Amino acid sequence: MTSPCPACGEPFGPDDGFCEVCGAELAPAAVSSGAADGARECPLCAAAGHPPAGVSPEGYCEFCGRKVPSGRDREELDVGPAAGVTDRGLRHARNEDAMALAATRVSGEPVALAVVCDGVSSAPRSDEASLSAVRAATGALLSAVRAGDDPAAASAGAARAAGSAVADLASAAGAPAATYASAVVDGTGVTVCWLGDSRVYWLAADVSGSRRLTTDDSLAEELVATGATVEEAMQSPQAHVITRWLGADLPEPEPHVARFEPPGQGAVLLCTDGLWNYSPEATELAAMALPGALTDPLAAAAALVKFAVDAGGADNITTVLMPFPPAWPETSPRSER
Amino acid sequence: MTSLPGFTVQIDQNPYLPVGGRDVSAVVTVTADTEATDGAPSWQDSADGSAEIIIVDCSGSMDFPPEKILAARAATSAAVDVIRDGARFAIVAGTNTAWPVYPTDGSMAVADARTRAEAKQAVTGLRSNGGTAIGQWLRLTHRIFQSYPATLRHAILLTDGKNQHETPEELAAAIGLCEGSFRCDCRGVGTDWVVDELRKISTALLGTVDIVPDPAGLAADFEEMMRGAMSKQLPDVMLRVWTPQTAIAKFVKQVAPAIEDLTGRRSQTSPQVGEYPTGAWAPGESRDYHVGVQVNVGAVGQEMLAARVSLVASSPSGQQILGQGLIRATWTEDEALSTRINPGVAHYTGQAELAAAIQDGLEANKRGDEETATAQLGRAVALAHAAGNEDTAKLLAKVVDVMDEATGTVRLKKKVSTADEMALDTRSAKTVRVKKE
Repeated sequence: MTSPCPACGEPFGPDDGFCEVCGAELAPAAVSSGAADGARECPLCAAAGHPPAGVSPEGYCEFCGRKVPSGRDREELDVGPAAGVTDRGLRHARNEDAMALAATRVSGEPVALAVVCDGVSSAPRSDEASLSAVRAATGALLSAVRAGDDPAAASAGAARAAGSAVADLASAAGAPAATYASAVVDGTGVTVCWLGDSRVYWLAADVSGSRRLTTDDSLAEELVATGATVEEAMQSPQAHVITRWLGADLPEPEPHVARFEPPGQGAVLLCTDGLWNYSPEATELAAMALPGALTDPLAAAAALVKFAVDAGGADNITTVLMPFPPAWPETSPRSER
Repeated sequence: MTSLPGFTVQIDQNPYLPVGGRDVSAVVTVTADTEATDGAPSWQDSADGSAEIIIVDCSGSMDFPPEKILAARAATSAAVDVIRDGARFAIVAGTNTAWPVYPTDGSMAVADARTRAEAKQAVTGLRSNGGTAIGQWLRLTHRIFQSYPATLRHAILLTDGKNQHETPEELAAAIGLCEGSFRCDCRGVGTDWVVDELRKISTALLGTVDIVPDPAGLAADFEEMMRGAMSKQLPDVMLRVWTPQTAIAKFVKQVAPAIEDLTGRRSQTSPQVGEYPTGAWAPGESRDYHVGVQVNVGAVGQEMLAARVSLVASSPSGQQILGQGLIRATWTEDEALSTRINPGVAHYTGQAELAAAIQDGLEANKRGDEETATAQLGRAVALAHAAGNEDTAKLLAKVVDVMDEATGTVRLKKKVSTADEMALDTRSAKTVRVKKE
């Protein structure tokens, strides 16, 4: 099976990451960078009938001063075997979550990978931190997977690359920080890696077999570990304080890595706390996402985001779904930017 | 295009507003870079664009005691020595009229060894005789400045008495004529002059006012003032404030090194933009401004640009923006965020209260209202103590007996020297910056 290189038209084989002729990356990662379509006019002023006044370089309307929605406020990405939606939600001024997705073939078999990061709001430039982290991580992860590296080592290496990218943003103004969650889905299972309280779930086609694959690095989780019930722990004012993260103020955090080999069909869900705060149980999430996630992961991811927004949208929400076993859908991906 | 130096603009604020909140407040620290970022020499190094005029009071009272006129001559000579080669300068004498002392034809001399010697020779001929009409002095100074197109125009005005030989309206009209034409630092020698009169001039002409109680201190003070003036290299910098449509720039105050309310000096350049004069700047100079904006209420989670503050200079190629900072607003339901007090804003709010308490206290004391005077000056003592404003605390301690500086428990001194009272009055607007943690 060969396809033409999008840059030079030369055919390439299923395992090629780069065009042998022109060097173009054949299936680069899709990143929620917001670069595609930041609004150039203030929609609120336009709705009120004001003549266009322009948007400042920092993204503010030159007439009313309000922040104009950026491309990052909501983005949908679909690379075939992985699709995701990130949304600002209703209560936050900007979207500090970021995601990156990629799909490739290793020895002819499809492999999907995704990284989700949640910028820590109490730190400066957290939106830049999460974006830099997912970029660095998918770059490292994709190269390692293409090279046939062990997914566990590749995942830990990618988390460290993300950590350096975030640490590089530190300045006199402070150290930006972000949570981290990645998943590499191949034909036999999923390798997950995380820091902080972004989560990865296994959503089984047989809903009751669903389970969470990560353990939060949070004070709530520590309270549970010392005997508190989940309800008690989550009511603690410090429930969402995370104990591990990416950032210059926590040098070289050790990422958690785990491997799970599902017994049957299902989907891997990566999400930030903007989703799971409203529905932490794997079985509930599975009931919402399946069976749609198996055939149309983008629509299923969008439905999960809509659920969280309708429930209050208190935080930024990011959901990524990857069907297992990984496969390109019958139709071509909707967007591959 | 002329390359002008950059300004660093730092914004210190709490951007979070509670639901329904409208008032946004920020401390804007503006610092003139010492050199352009590309390394090119950006400050004009030649003194060619500078012009200085020294205005010396020669009224009859300057002879009582005669040390005053002698000190004024010596101080003028000392200041002349500091004028850089190539700068234009002149000396004006003032009584109930005014005349050019040097050069005598009402022009300006180019500073060099010869002209400095001639000027100092001319100064020795200054005699005191006549009245005081400061408006006349300012009008002549303005006329002389018009004779040469300098970009940095600065005057030093010395007087020892009140403006007796013209009406306040005449003085105000003269100040209005000079506004924007030159900057003026004012000094009162002795205690027979009126703080408010000189303050009107120094405020309008973007200068300082101070008392020199002892004529012996005059020469050093003049020299320092002239050195300060000679260090200025960038004229007519405006603080430009953009606000959203429907928002109001409620106040713009310089708060360091001293409080100067610029709110009333706004010139509206377009519906959403106003400009405030900041005068001339020296390389590396730093000042703080307190800016208050009232915005329309936004939804929870909405982020808004409440003001864009920029420094604007005029150059032959037009206006240039030398630096800018953004004042933001974000509405939140999280009270821990919206109620957080910004230390910089709180500090300067306190410093402004301190200045106001001193003014009110001295005013009450003049009226004989000892109760109000004690209360206000006591409050001033407490505020100065809390902010670590030691200079002001020392000046206050000369006017009141301090029992407890923390609570501001004070008693008015039975005998207060007029000079101490005037020193407190003129220096009450001086501020200290926020203590670094």
